[in-house]
Amino acid sequence: MTDAVQRQKDDLSQLNNDYATRYGFHDPVDYFHKGARGISHEVVEMISKMKNEPRWMAEIRHHALDVFNSKPTPRWGNTKLLNEIVYENIYYFMKPIEQQGKSWDDVPEYIRRTFDKLGIPEAEKNFLGGVSAQYESEVVYHSMREDLTKKGVVFLDMDAGLREYPEIIKKYFGTVIPTDDNKFAALNTAVWSGGSFIYVPPGVDVAVPLQAYFRINAENMGQFERTLIIADKGARVHYIEGCTAPVYSTDSLHSAVVELIALEDSYIRYTTIQNWARNIYNLVTKRATAHKNATVEWVDGNLGSRLTMKYPCIQLVGEGARGEILSVAFAGQDQHQDAGAKVIHAAPNTSSRITSKSISKDNGRASYRGLAKIHKNATNSKISVECDALLIGEDARSDTYPTMEIDNDQVRVEHEARVSKVAEEQLFYLTSRGLTEDDARLLIVNGFMEPFTKELPLEYAVELNRLIELEMEGSIG
Amino acid sequence: MATNTTTDNPIRELNSPALERGPLWIRDLRKASLESFNTTPVPPRGLHLWRYTDPEKFLLKNDVIDTAFGEHFDQAEEVELKHFEDGTLAGLVIDNGGRQIDVRLSGDLAQMGVVVMPLSEAIESHRELVEKHLYQTVNNTTGKFEAMNGALWNDGIFVYIPDNKTVERPIHLLREAGRANSAAFPRLLVVVGQNAEVTLVDEYAGGAPSTEDGFAYCNAVVELIGGQDSRTRYISLQRQGQGTISYLTHRARIAKGATMLTVPFAFGGSISKQNFGVNLNGEGANSKMVGLLFGTGRQHFDNHTMHHHSVGQTFSDIDFKVVLRDKARSAYTGLIRIDHSAKTCEAYQENRNLLLNRGTRAETIPELEILNEDVSCSHGATVGPLDEMEVFYLMARGIAREEAVRMIVSGYVRSTITMAPEDLQERLSAVIADRLGDL
Repeated sequence: MTDAVQRQKDDLSQLNNDYATRYGFHDPVDYFHKGARGISHEVVEMISKMKNEPRWMAEIRHHALDVFNSKPTPRWGNTKLLNEIVYENIYYFMKPIEQQGKSWDDVPEYIRRTFDKLGIPEAEKNFLGGVSAQYESEVVYHSMREDLTKKGVVFLDMDAGLREYPEIIKKYFGTVIPTDDNKFAALNTAVWSGGSFIYVPPGVDVAVPLQAYFRINAENMGQFERTLIIADKGARVHYIEGCTAPVYSTDSLHSAVVELIALEDSYIRYTTIQNWARNIYNLVTKRATAHKNATVEWVDGNLGSRLTMKYPCIQLVGEGARGEILSVAFAGQDQHQDAGAKVIHAAPNTSSRITSKSISKDNGRASYRGLAKIHKNATNSKISVECDALLIGEDARSDTYPTMEIDNDQVRVEHEARVSKVAEEQLFYLTSRGLTEDDARLLIVNGFMEPFTKELPLEYAVELNRLIELEMEGSIG
Repeated sequence: MATNTTTDNPIRELNSPALERGPLWIRDLRKASLESFNTTPVPPRGLHLWRYTDPEKFLLKNDVIDTAFGEHFDQAEEVELKHFEDGTLAGLVIDNGGRQIDVRLSGDLAQMGVVVMPLSEAIESHRELVEKHLYQTVNNTTGKFEAMNGALWNDGIFVYIPDNKTVERPIHLLREAGRANSAAFPRLLVVVGQNAEVTLVDEYAGGAPSTEDGFAYCNAVVELIGGQDSRTRYISLQRQGQGTISYLTHRARIAKGATMLTVPFAFGGSISKQNFGVNLNGEGANSKMVGLLFGTGRQHFDNHTMHHHSVGQTFSDIDFKVVLRDKARSAYTGLIRIDHSAKTCEAYQENRNLLLNRGTRAETIPELEILNEDVSCSHGATVGPLDEMEVFYLMARGIAREEAVRMIVSGYVRSTITMAPEDLQERLSAVIADRLGDL
């Protein structure tokens, strides 16, 4: 092995190694409400009571808890880690403060400091149309630009959404991801709290991104946000979510449910930069329904967590609907990123593209798990799937488990996957043209990630590149 | 069909004569297999390799196992007998469901020390070889249905090519399944010595031609051992009748410098589940699989291939083609696994699916499990209809549409057919022509 390759390994093993200082701090919080550990119908009832919900939602929750209890832990994926989750040890509901803030001044100082450190207020000023900041179970800060409110755009936390728009929520809640979809969706449905509710009226283009930031602060916390985004006919919206947590020695659980509904001719892009601490289980269900000529895009970056199991899905149910899923996973020491994508074509002339990029380093494991399904009636549909995996380190592991189910002959389905290490030829090629070794390595890794970073809003792309660059630079000389 | 009573009522209660066949050590292995079959649960639906096929279909009613097998004659017998007589084949084995195994071997092979004989005889005369390899690559731990074969095989075939011997002409194994409501459990053990070379055609014929009188069952196991620097070409031809429920597990293990070419042809059966796997177990081992599946009517195919690189500097390549028409269905799962210690491997896999009409259905799951960085791997899969531009091109030259489709499909399957020995290619082309019959 050449020095260059060895150093490449050293560099990348540094990625996120300042996580503890940058994101890993935690606040000593005097919670407004901190329930007991464990889950039961009493806990569910308490959550519902505290939120003053309509009875029908409480009933959905109780039913969901029964479903959760009756469903076995998945027997696929990383069953070893899944079976290590101790559900009795988790706090299912923690309310940090009594009143949500409309301005950052309303937020208690220790929480404001946290979000300051994470750069949220700064980003809000510069380029966001609205911000929602969730701390443990509830959203502590929420605001949206006035011009968007005037256009009729609704961007609320889910609890407020249920209070103010119960009829819309009743109509769409759980229609994309039913309670019994899987064990973790059922758990979320039983104890959900926070998350975002967005409704964009017909023809409205939300030109600036809306963002939610999710922060876990406590140990053994379970965060179960619930997000529902509806783009009405011809509407356009881009939603971004980010997340971090302190580093603890015991595990926390994050299990979100995200439902997107893109009505005729609308456009939804949903971008995730998942950077949980490495003691977090991230078991998330995300699914979109795209109606006639609508477009849904998932841009999904997974850098953190101990185990992530997440397969954003698009159901193309209207003629001419389009879907795109861009998934990037970075699996470092002791991490398993079991990520992927699903597209389900249930209407004619639909098209979709999945691009997956993964890097496994040290003993990290990145798995691509996907589904590309074409129903009988989805004539003239097209799917293209491309998976690229980069392995760095002798113990790195990469898996690819794509599934293609094709029930129509007038379609084109293509799948490709490649797995390789950083090519010494590429390093040699660049260094022989006068680039330093660090620059060459940086160029190769950034080039590998480029299809992902180029889809991010500029500020995020810069941030991600900076993250990689910083870590790589840090280890030279 | 198999019902719950079958699972509750394990075959242990059957007095299958097969269980009492062979010397004590074989009977012990059978007993262990039976025990394993009885205690291994039926694989749950939806779990990995059973997502598309109901495992209950492969459980047998007790009386089926007991049913007299009956006389049987497949049209291929005549052709292959001729091929043996005119010297095209070096050997021909006609295996009537393990009930009766007739071996024909040309004189020069016997002189070379090549062994082709019923497994029951080899257990006595070549005990050391058989004991070393039988149940080694496919056994109770492989799965429930492999355990079932391990208990119930009546008689099988043993092939041994001594070190440094080259068998230039193919050896043909013609395995006939019985008619409706009978069951066959063929078993094959092949040991290819160091630097030896052989071509084997393993043909599965017979079975119930339709489901009118009930299903015929066949559960086969193939074990192949490729010695150092050996060269093996193994052709598996499944053309059982369309009333046959067929299960086959094939495992090969090849040593340093050995090459293995595996060519599965899947044409027959009502439900056919076949699993081909090669373990590359020595540096420089090279395995290539070139498969072709052509489904018609309401046939249901579920095929797996696996390349397992357990040693570094090994090379594997898979090209598995599927053609479907009418209401045929195919699920293909291909796995490349590269172990942690297997450095500098190359592994490729391609699965192409050609759907000739609406109503067909194809599933493709090309999987990779790569446990170290020093590898070069890729896989690709496509599913789609005929290229209308190609059809148009031919029609513009005065060729009728049906004929144009025939020509394109024949071209598509050609590269796989040419992997078979020449004498077999004619029959394979005839099968394709027949399957393309009334488009």
